Amino acid sequence: MKAQIKSLSFSFGEKRILKDISLDISDGEFIGLMGPNGSGKTTLLRCLMDYLPSEKGAILIDMKPVHTLSPAEIARIFAVVPQSSNTDFPFTCYDIVMMGRMPHIKSRLSGETAKDAKAVREAMERTDTWRFSGRLFSELSGGERQRVIIARAIAQSPKAMLLDEPTVYLDISGQLEVMDLVKKLNQENGITIVAVLHEVNLAAKYCDRIALLNDGRLEAIGAPQDVLTPETIKSVYGVDVVVRKDPFTKAVYVMPRSTTAPVHRHGTRVHLLCGGGSGGPIMRLLHDGGYGISAGVLNVLDSDYENANDLHIPVAAEIPFSQISQEAHAENLRLIDESPAIVVCPFPVGPGNFRNLEAARHALDSGKRVLIVRPATGQGIDFVGGKADSTIKELISSGAIEVPEEQQLLSQLSEIGR
Amino acid sequence: MSPGPGDGAAAVADIASVRRRHRLILLGLLGLLVLTFFLAVFTGYTGPIAPVSGDRLSFGEAFQGLFGHTSNSVFFWDIRVPRILFAGIVGAALACAGTAMQAIFRNSMADPFIIGVSSGAAVGAVCASVLGFGAFLGSLASPLFAFFSALVTVLVVYSLGVVKGRVYVDTVLLSGVAVAAFLGAVVSFIIYYAGERYDRLIPWLLGSFADARWSYVEAAALPVVAGALVVYLYGRDLNAILMGEETAYNLGTDPDQLKKVMLGVAALITSAAVAFVGIVGFVGLIVPHMMRLLVGADHRILVPASTLFGATFLIAADAVARTAVIGEELPVGIITALCGGPFFLYLLRRNRIRGEAK
Repeated sequence: MKAQIKSLSFSFGEKRILKDISLDISDGEFIGLMGPNGSGKTTLLRCLMDYLPSEKGAILIDMKPVHTLSPAEIARIFAVVPQSSNTDFPFTCYDIVMMGRMPHIKSRLSGETAKDAKAVREAMERTDTWRFSGRLFSELSGGERQRVIIARAIAQSPKAMLLDEPTVYLDISGQLEVMDLVKKLNQENGITIVAVLHEVNLAAKYCDRIALLNDGRLEAIGAPQDVLTPETIKSVYGVDVVVRKDPFTKAVYVMPRSTTAPVHRHGTRVHLLCGGGSGGPIMRLLHDGGYGISAGVLNVLDSDYENANDLHIPVAAEIPFSQISQEAHAENLRLIDESPAIVVCPFPVGPGNFRNLEAARHALDSGKRVLIVRPATGQGIDFVGGKADSTIKELISSGAIEVPEEQQLLSQLSEIGR
Repeated sequence: MSPGPGDGAAAVADIASVRRRHRLILLGLLGLLVLTFFLAVFTGYTGPIAPVSGDRLSFGEAFQGLFGHTSNSVFFWDIRVPRILFAGIVGAALACAGTAMQAIFRNSMADPFIIGVSSGAAVGAVCASVLGFGAFLGSLASPLFAFFSALVTVLVVYSLGVVKGRVYVDTVLLSGVAVAAFLGAVVSFIIYYAGERYDRLIPWLLGSFADARWSYVEAAALPVVAGALVVYLYGRDLNAILMGEETAYNLGTDPDQLKKVMLGVAALITSAAVAFVGIVGFVGLIVPHMMRLLVGADHRILVPASTLFGATFLIAADAVARTAVIGEELPVGIITALCGGPFFLYLLRRNRIRGEAK
């Protein structure tokens, strides 16, 4: 299915929802529609299947204007998967999936044929829902229901599927399950996918192209790495993000970043070099003690990264399970330059994060006060064959202060403010 | 294993077993209807099942009266059979229209009167009776007035809920409630000034088959059968609209067309039923509920099942109305409300308790 949207505009009364949108959707592609709430994504989907009549511009489906097609013809082209579906009426899952065959049944007088039954069964087996075909739809969990709805969409044997935030009410395993299924339909059956998605990283992972809408206009269109740039995201969503590449899948990975350093009672900033959970208790201690805190370099998904996020403190971040890159290291040094004191937490040092010790050396060299928290006895932190231990010794001999216990940090730091 | 709502277990459905089950259910309901018909024919003061022994007939005498030529034949064929047939037609019409209304309003509390049919018909019937149109239109004055004022009322309610060709069902619903309240006041006002003539209106306002005759059967049968057939043919579309209008559209249904057809058909068959017998409540509300418990929500089985059982239910209710109080005939609306009210409350509580348990 090929769709061409040409200078489409749409209004609800006085309110203009879509403004002059032009977009070509090619056969077999997986395109994501993104944008803030109210940017017109769902309206665009509805115009595409002619549920809402476009007032200006044209929509061509396989070269035919969409408004010349009958509802049944449109239903044989597009199948829709909404955010969620439910009904108080006692339909079985089989009933629900069989509804997908409606556009293929010739007249009101004819019943379902063996062919329809076969399509329903295949669709339900494909989505692993056949085993509850006789159960009531309303008794299923959200994820199961969404799979039944996808089975209905498959039974409809459409040329394209329109998905409107299909994963918004699902937990993470449900999200991946649904998206993997949709991707398979796209790749194996050549079904064109147009999906409204909110989760940037889900969109980046699955979409061939992303169309970014903002206030009814098409802001950007292209491959995920071209659309999901910090600049575009800042201008559309108004948030600061860091964009990296997932080393395994090469998909771009977007992480939010809080840039505004909180102003605290002291006005004294302390930067923590931490990781692996070593920084959590110290962050809390210093936070409660009234210090402004920053931290680095932390991998996203590291528990210290989560701790830092909870406290809304600035972080030099790296994508999960990756070496500290030059960019992240530079960000770390910038944060160090803003703080008069640096705390080296007893984090496990490996080849990936050895650069954090180099950052400590940089701090010491630029005249900062460097405090090194001694690890608990018997807890080694050196995973680089002695290089970490020797570097720490070196730091101490060149002026860094070793703090035997976390609690003593506060008294050591209190001297700075005076 | 055949699927049924409430099985709960992981029963697996397939088209053959579903069809078999549907056929069995319809045959069962048809059998029940025929059985109820005969029981109703035999029930009453002239019949084997009579509340007092006065002129009780034996089954043999009753059969002879019904299928032969005895002194009882005229009574059976001119009075009781048309009355029972008409009760069946009205019950079928109300239950079928109720099923359609609950589907397009996506609300199991909807009934055929929700769009103003009953209050509209009441105004017409009361006007005809009080203003004395019976003088030149004969006994058909009241039904004719009731029928047309019901249709006009529905048209007003409907047009209040339509904007630019799109039917907004929630607005239709609220308009129906408001218009019904307004017309209820009009009826009360007329009755208040009508004085003693009010007595004649009570049976109609509560629903009664006491006046039913062959001419009623002939007038109502065709529209009701045709209307029920249309609702049945739209069964798949009614299924689809229960998943939401956008989903229905995406499954190839035109939701606005569907709503217009269903509202039109329901208004027509409900008005035709109500015009003759008055306001028989609860049948259109509870019969679809009972049938949904039995057959599920698929309207291709639910519509015929409700239609058949609506007929059975009202035939039985009328038989009770004829015989429950010795020497008198109760308006059938009292019987249906007496059964329907508590049953409906039971359903309501049960669903609430189930909802809590989830």
